[in-house]
Amino acid sequence: MRAFGWRAVVVFALLAALPLVPGVSRYYLLLAFDALLFGAIAMSLDLLMGYTGLVSFGHAAFYGLGAYATAILMERGVQSVWACVGFALLVVGLYALVVSYFATARRGIYFALLTLIFAEVVYTFFRYTQTFGGSDGIQGLPDATLFPGLVIDTPTRKYYLVLAYLAVAYAICRVLVASHFGRVLVAIRENEDRARFLGYNVQRYKMGACMISALLTGVAGAIYPMRSAFATPDLMLWTESGEFIISVMIGGLGTLVGPIIGGVFFTILRDKVSSIVDWYFIVIGVVLIVIVLFMPRGLLGLRRIFSRERATA
Amino acid sequence: MRRMTWLVVLVTLAVAGTWMAAPALSQSKVVKIGDLGSKVGVFEGYGKYQTMGMQLAVDELNARGGVLGHKVEIVSEDDETKPAPAVRKAEKLILQDDVKLLVGAVSSGATMAVMDVTKKHKTIHWNSVSCAEFMRTTKFHKYYFSNQPDSRMQANGLARYIVDRMGKKVYIFYTDYAMGQSDGRQFKTALEKLGGEVVGVAGAPLDTKDFSPWFGAINQSNPDVLFVAFAGTDSLRLMTQLHSFGMTKKYKLAGIDCFLLQQDLPAIAEPMEGFVQLNHFSPHNPDKNMQAYNERFKKKFGTDANIAAGSYDAVLFWAAAVEKAKSFDPDKVADAHEGMCRDNTHIGRQCIRKEDHQVVMDMHLYQVKGGKNLPIARIAGNDSIGEAMVGKDPVEGFTWEIKKKN
Repeated sequence: MRAFGWRAVVVFALLAALPLVPGVSRYYLLLAFDALLFGAIAMSLDLLMGYTGLVSFGHAAFYGLGAYATAILMERGVQSVWACVGFALLVVGLYALVVSYFATARRGIYFALLTLIFAEVVYTFFRYTQTFGGSDGIQGLPDATLFPGLVIDTPTRKYYLVLAYLAVAYAICRVLVASHFGRVLVAIRENEDRARFLGYNVQRYKMGACMISALLTGVAGAIYPMRSAFATPDLMLWTESGEFIISVMIGGLGTLVGPIIGGVFFTILRDKVSSIVDWYFIVIGVVLIVIVLFMPRGLLGLRRIFSRERATA
Repeated sequence: MRRMTWLVVLVTLAVAGTWMAAPALSQSKVVKIGDLGSKVGVFEGYGKYQTMGMQLAVDELNARGGVLGHKVEIVSEDDETKPAPAVRKAEKLILQDDVKLLVGAVSSGATMAVMDVTKKHKTIHWNSVSCAEFMRTTKFHKYYFSNQPDSRMQANGLARYIVDRMGKKVYIFYTDYAMGQSDGRQFKTALEKLGGEVVGVAGAPLDTKDFSPWFGAINQSNPDVLFVAFAGTDSLRLMTQLHSFGMTKKYKLAGIDCFLLQQDLPAIAEPMEGFVQLNHFSPHNPDKNMQAYNERFKKKFGTDANIAAGSYDAVLFWAAAVEKAKSFDPDKVADAHEGMCRDNTHIGRQCIRKEDHQVVMDMHLYQVKGGKNLPIARIAGNDSIGEAMVGKDPVEGFTWEIKKKN
């Protein structure tokens, strides 16, 4: 509760009440699932981008690997949410260990490039490996089971699953950024050399942030097939990583809450605009340009504008 | 400051909630049908013509009073040629728009993913463009119907002509995703059964810009025929590049039905000269049914129709099944579809085979001459459809291995 704060509790309580709101159809619960999952991934990425100052272009690989971990187990008859999440943590953890070891040895653009290259290798592997369905991926998965007798088979149950995940992930991130570990990450972001001179093993801290971010994203990936019933290589495409970064930018770097808002905003905007016009990505691009130009601190940066106006008044 | 943060969160939630909870406008005596297809990208042309075919059918239905007294309305969505958006949009069409029929998607990978959605939510699903062999076999479900000749049908119809008239040594070049792999597999199987020899196979990723890296291997294997399983803008690029390398003159060329839309042919008439394919529609076919359909289409849209004519028939099949069932109930409508026939369609009589819900219809072999698809032979539907294989693996025992002949 302390990690959460009462305001977060109120927000999560409101979110929990969403299925009870009249007029919220099953489709909107699924859309809310996508929005919150996207928000959770953006929040995980914010640990790296916002707090550690590392831009990852490879988060789609963590997401996709988590999804494939679930799909592979489900295809073989294992439907337990816990088993799928556990397997995803193992697979994504091993991959993230390798990626973070090599990528964190480099700074700036080299870190970004290395994460991108690793992700493209993973994408290509799954894209061309027929054992995992090749370009079609693994489709037609059954519903997951939380406990014996409790099948995640309705949009409402799926929504609560992702909401629970978001709550846990948010609590973890909140505790981390408030801890000594989190403060060292910020120190590395501000001045990596100074942090090193102060005696911190910078690479180990960066690896830690990378691993935690990857694992949280991997769990999000593990949950995705429980809603969509498939895992395809497209989930690992660099464009997916780009959308995660865009969500962080829209919401506001280094705020945790901002990227969640960014992810939700991006998902709903994409859904609504793409139903109206075919060239929706142009609209999204314009929105992004406006946000970057006029709200460099993202949607959450609006609070500063409001605060300033109130102070002036 | 922190209070402001949470204010932003709450406002965002309220806006998102209001937006999401806005009830869909519903009118009495209106039934909605869903059109899911590629509106941009490599398969854009097929998606747009699918919509046009559906629109023509809906206009005709509404002009004679709709379906069961309901005016029919189309809700169109873009599948982005990928499974994830296709599933999202299919769910939107079914759960939010409450469509009673879903036509789509365009890419086989997306269609197969959408099949899980239509199965789960018991929605009548017509496919009129995708052709992977799994859709009427391992992925088949009660609510799924198709009037697109799948890979097996196309291979059965085309392989005989190639072996008899074009040459026995064939190189198979395919787009490396569901549709192309399926076409390549089924064509190889059919060709080898008929005594043909596959001298090489290769797959190029969807949306490949430069095909020249594969040309060396094709030339080295020296085939009589180059069989190409591509579609959309991939086909345009491939043919242009093959022509610039002199390979359209060197080899006889054959391909799948959706290789290029008729509308694209005049632009690359020279590279396509002599190209052979099996197809169920051409505006240049003198058949009176085909001409009658093309006239209606052209009158409405000012352009010739193409193979997306299937979407027109799909809507009319569904409407007839609803009238027969006297209900929109998906189980009753699905049952009413089975065994149903329609006469005087663009390809004559079409019947839905009860076992796998595949439409049995005649097709023509076409050859491109002067930028036009001209018919050279008619293939009876029963000769190409093959046995029903619901639940069976259509690629069991298949291998891409090249069997060398002495």
